[in-house]
Amino acid sequence: MVPLLLAAPLVLYMLAFYALPVLAMLMRSISDPTWSLTHYKDLAGDPVFIKVFWNTLETSFIVTVSTLLLGYPVALALVRAPKWAPLILILILLPFWTSVLVRSYAWMVLMGRHGLINEALLAAGLLERPLRLLNTPLATQIAMTHILLPYMILPIANALRQIDPSLARAASGLGATPFASFRQVTLPLSMPGVAAGVLLVFVLALGFYITPAMVGGPREITLSMLISQQVEELNWAYAATLSAVLLATALGIIALFYRLPGIGNAFTTSGR
Amino acid sequence: MAAELGASVALRDLEKSYDRVAAVAGVSLDIRSGEFLTLLGPSGSGKTTTLMMIAGFETPTGGDIAIDGTSVVGMPPYRRNIGMVFQNYALFPHLTVAENIGFPLKQRGVSKEDRARLVGEALELVHLPGYGGRYPRQLSGGQQQRVALARAIVFKPRLLLMDEPLGALDKQLRENLQLEMRRLHADLGITFIYVTHDQEEALTMSDRIAVMNDGLVAQVGRPEDLYDRPSNRFVASFIGESNFLPAIVRALEDNDVVVAECQGALIRAVCPSRPAAGDKVMLTTRPERLRFTDGAWNSSTPQNRLSVTVTEAVFAGERCRYMLQAGDGTAVVLKEPSSAAIRRRAVGEQAEIAWSVADTILV
Amino acid sequence: MARSRFPSPLGRRAALGILGAGLSGPFIRPSLAQAAWPEQTTIPDSLKGTGEVRIAGYGGTMQEAQQKAYYDSFEKLSGIKVLAFPGASPTKVKAMVETGNVEWDMAQLSRGSIMNLMKTGDYFEKIDYSLVDDGVGKEHRFEYGLEMLVWAQVLAYRTDAFKGSAPTGWADFWDTRKFPGDRAMFGTSGGGWPEMEFALMAAGVPADKVYPLDVDKALASYTKIKKDVVKWWDTGAVPIQLLTDREVTMTTVWNGRMAALQAAGVPAAISWEQGLSKRDAWGIPKGAKNKANAMKFAAFSTMAIPQARIAFAIPYGSVNGGSNEYIPPDRLAMLPSAPEIKKKLVNYNYDWWIDNREAVIPKFNKWLLS
Repeated sequence: MVPLLLAAPLVLYMLAFYALPVLAMLMRSISDPTWSLTHYKDLAGDPVFIKVFWNTLETSFIVTVSTLLLGYPVALALVRAPKWAPLILILILLPFWTSVLVRSYAWMVLMGRHGLINEALLAAGLLERPLRLLNTPLATQIAMTHILLPYMILPIANALRQIDPSLARAASGLGATPFASFRQVTLPLSMPGVAAGVLLVFVLALGFYITPAMVGGPREITLSMLISQQVEELNWAYAATLSAVLLATALGIIALFYRLPGIGNAFTTSGR
Repeated sequence: MAAELGASVALRDLEKSYDRVAAVAGVSLDIRSGEFLTLLGPSGSGKTTTLMMIAGFETPTGGDIAIDGTSVVGMPPYRRNIGMVFQNYALFPHLTVAENIGFPLKQRGVSKEDRARLVGEALELVHLPGYGGRYPRQLSGGQQQRVALARAIVFKPRLLLMDEPLGALDKQLRENLQLEMRRLHADLGITFIYVTHDQEEALTMSDRIAVMNDGLVAQVGRPEDLYDRPSNRFVASFIGESNFLPAIVRALEDNDVVVAECQGALIRAVCPSRPAAGDKVMLTTRPERLRFTDGAWNSSTPQNRLSVTVTEAVFAGERCRYMLQAGDGTAVVLKEPSSAAIRRRAVGEQAEIAWSVADTILV
Repeated sequence: MARSRFPSPLGRRAALGILGAGLSGPFIRPSLAQAAWPEQTTIPDSLKGTGEVRIAGYGGTMQEAQQKAYYDSFEKLSGIKVLAFPGASPTKVKAMVETGNVEWDMAQLSRGSIMNLMKTGDYFEKIDYSLVDDGVGKEHRFEYGLEMLVWAQVLAYRTDAFKGSAPTGWADFWDTRKFPGDRAMFGTSGGGWPEMEFALMAAGVPADKVYPLDVDKALASYTKIKKDVVKWWDTGAVPIQLLTDREVTMTTVWNGRMAALQAAGVPAAISWEQGLSKRDAWGIPKGAKNKANAMKFAAFSTMAIPQARIAFAIPYGSVNGGSNEYIPPDRLAMLPSAPEIKKKLVNYNYDWWIDNREAVIPKFNKWLLS
């Protein structure tokens, strides 16, 4: 009973400032202007929504895969090279502490038509005319990967850190080459961290807004951008419906991960 | 027969230092094929570091390790073909018992069918048949250690290293497993190198023990040699309980016997080295080998004698334990089998004690 | 249509405004700073009162300009205290009125925003035109709002991009052979209404025949420039940044932003031809506590001198025909309300957009994504 009472202030806070507004928002999607599921029906046949939704999923997927591929080795280095760990950690966290806006702007400076990358390639004679890097889907993917990388690295590093170091020794002593030891012992044991990272990055990527708006291509509209557009257009019911879809997608993905054997408990226990 | 199955290991001036602090400071040791050798010592004595260097997990900063005459320094662990059992078992938590035991076989490209057969055999050997499908977390500590053992021997290595494998188990289980390991050693005929800080364990199981202290081997020998003939004060005090009597050498006799003066009495001691007359030395004896001269005493061997005062008397079931004080204040412990027929000494009582020359060692 | 045209401390758009922060300095040119500002010395008794009025604007440089142009003098002359807030937006007005928690007595909004909201409910008070100055033209008066600022959405280009030749009008904007380089145009991602008018004029529709918009024709025209538009911008800082960084050679802009860019030394210029003349308006949220004071302030701020003073501070034009005589010629030449410029501009037809945006925007989105 006492532990429950301890949680009461937070529960009340969450109810008042999170659950209720979300509920009110969801209500709007079925009650504005009259009680019906029209908005959802309309959505199913709306090519703009389908395209935007697909774009959002696709971008999130690409960003998740690239953060995983780039982040896993870094997480491994973080855990396996304790001497360099503080430096690596700072390099990871420095951008983490920098606002998304500043980072997005940094990408603009870097990838611009006359930005550092283009100027360097031009100076090196590798290009005759500047490449269009900025304002493309690639720019969004690169920038989002950069921004979301810590969310992939930290859970994986955490999972790797919890692996008993004697297991790697045991594997090696039992005849496993470093690669075999990684594939058969380290990798499977780090899966809870990978799952947590993938989930975090994918769900966060679903809601991205500033970065695609700033560095993305002219046809790149994410679900969040569409929601904002509809809010500004005062189509609040439509915006609420889109928000409900975004929320349901995120919750659905979380539920899916909880179902995966051996991974669901990654979020409740240390994964031992 | 057994000799062919086990590997021989030779350590030559083996050294390992971390930031210029020596953990192992020059160890030379020959471990014979098929031998059960224990590295015994307190924590920090360098025994585990030595084992890890043999396994290949630590790189020596000096010296050489040869297995069957071939140097293995620089060879990665996974190519040394050595079985290894860790104190915390180090079972792979995501693999079943069968998969754990089959792991080294898989690395060696053993077919699935052969793997299943060998794993079955290994499980029989450690008395866990039918446990193959379980996960390590579903087993007790003792069962986990048996699995670790099975995993370490399933690929028939010629050398098995064990790092305090029973340290985390309770006394009863530890004693059972000690016997089982001895049996396994006899059955397999391979060389065992065993690390422990538990002298009783070492004395029970080993063919030979290497006592380590401060990164060096203090003494190597059979358990009874170490107990009866400790070659230095560290070994005498680390293995079993010992009395230490300061003395001055007066004369040397034949048969490695020294006559030394102690508390005004002349005491004969066994001494393999030949000290000079006048040297200040330390004599050591085991408490259970001392007797009161007016008690149930019967011996024809030459006797050492000393007058003492009883300062403490403790009845401990099978034994009585007395704290005694010699003339100059040196404390001496005496243990006597308890019997209703033997008179108990009272504190403050004057007495004379005696013991055999063979049980007196100059260290 | 709730695009803030001024850096404000709130929200993402404001945050995006940081991009232009390096440029947001000297709105007030030295010559103007030295030129004497006209001074309002008396007001009709009908505009005097007591208490306070809470006014929401866009914050930032616009709020500074308004403070200097008319908040201070209104307080002094009327006896009504002015409390200025940043972050005016139609979504906030909608939320305030719907929850009955009206925190503003007046908000600066686009004329379109006010009309758009009124279409869905009763969100604004009617304007009391008995107080309003005669100099305010009929076109600036509507039932639920009083226009108070004239601005323009126009073509801007880098003067160093085309070897001295200057684009005039949308046909040139569309002509990427004669005027090479990437383009940026106003998009819908932040709730904006697309620049269909420009697409039509590019396709040869005369300025006075633009409305009612032929949406399909506009989209067909848009298709010709689509691959060259690298950004559909949604906030005023973006086209300025794109011009500064040479990401584009030509873009559409809000005219007020260009002064800062030029002051920062970026070789860029406005081409006023075929630009759209747009207006901001005061709207009084339904149920505003100090409604009467808000009416008085709205009337005061649209008098000739307060309107002229705004133009001294920031290059936006006046809704009062009497203002021009108070503004020096070199300043007047920068304002969308100047007679010379006004005649080059097309009056934005808010009514058409209010009636049609619901159909046009999904069509545009679909076209954009196809």
